[in-house]
Amino acid sequence: MTRARAGESSAFAALVRRYQRTVYSIALRMLSDRHRAEDLAQEVFLQLYRTLDGIDSDTHLAFWLRKVAVNRAIDRMRMESRHDNEPLTEAVAVADEPIEDDPLLHKRMADLVAQLPPAARAVVVLRYQEDLDPTDIASTLDMSINTVKSHLKRSLTLLRARVQGTAIVEDIR
Amino acid sequence: MSKDFEQQLHEALRPVDPEEGFEQRVLARIVQERSSTLRKVTRWASVALAASVVFAAVLGTHEWQLRREQEGLEARKQLLEALRLTGEKLDVAYQAVNREAPEPADDGSGA
Repeated sequence: MTRARAGESSAFAALVRRYQRTVYSIALRMLSDRHRAEDLAQEVFLQLYRTLDGIDSDTHLAFWLRKVAVNRAIDRMRMESRHDNEPLTEAVAVADEPIEDDPLLHKRMADLVAQLPPAARAVVVLRYQEDLDPTDIASTLDMSINTVKSHLKRSLTLLRARVQGTAIVEDIR
Repeated sequence: MSKDFEQQLHEALRPVDPEEGFEQRVLARIVQERSSTLRKVTRWASVALAASVVFAAVLGTHEWQLRREQEGLEARKQLLEALRLTGEKLDVAYQAVNREAPEPADDGSGA
């Protein structure tokens, strides 16, 4: 980190290598598009390059990258008005499925997560992809813990209902 | 069941790697941004320099005009002073001439 801060490009490249998976995955889950996710992830690292002086530890760096990636993704979704995914409650119902290790089921679950509204999606991604606990999610997203827990609970209920094909009327927006 | 579902969700949202060469593309973008910033700085410096030259020229012209006006006023003052002095001298001379002039001679006609 110190060497990267001193302008050593190989040290910065090492930082990119170390965190590219995290940043890209968040961008991909939020934007549901590989090209836009790549572009956003690049922008996050570009911003990191400009603000490296303000990062004081590896923990801070990981926190900062997640926060910037999620916030940029939400901003982009709002800016591009791409938030036109149909709400999850209106998604096509799926047939009853047993919960088992199934690549197709995983894909369907990821698709359903991609249909969640931006804030709820960010919470779910940080919880189940990044494995953060609600406290860390709350500080990353500048939300209260109760809001995070509420998003999690409602999103899980909704996703479970969708996966199991249960009709649900509640709109989580 | 809830735990199973969360576990499935966890697996469904497994982190994925970007396409090969991501790191090089980021570094290339940084280099590109650096040169773009340099271009912007150069452009702004040129504009600032041109503006400074124009400003200096305007200021110089203004100073020159002021100095010319001051010089004009000074010359006018000196001319008025010279005219005043000349007038005084003429007045003195005129009075002296009048004082020294002989009185008109009496022709004895008694008129």
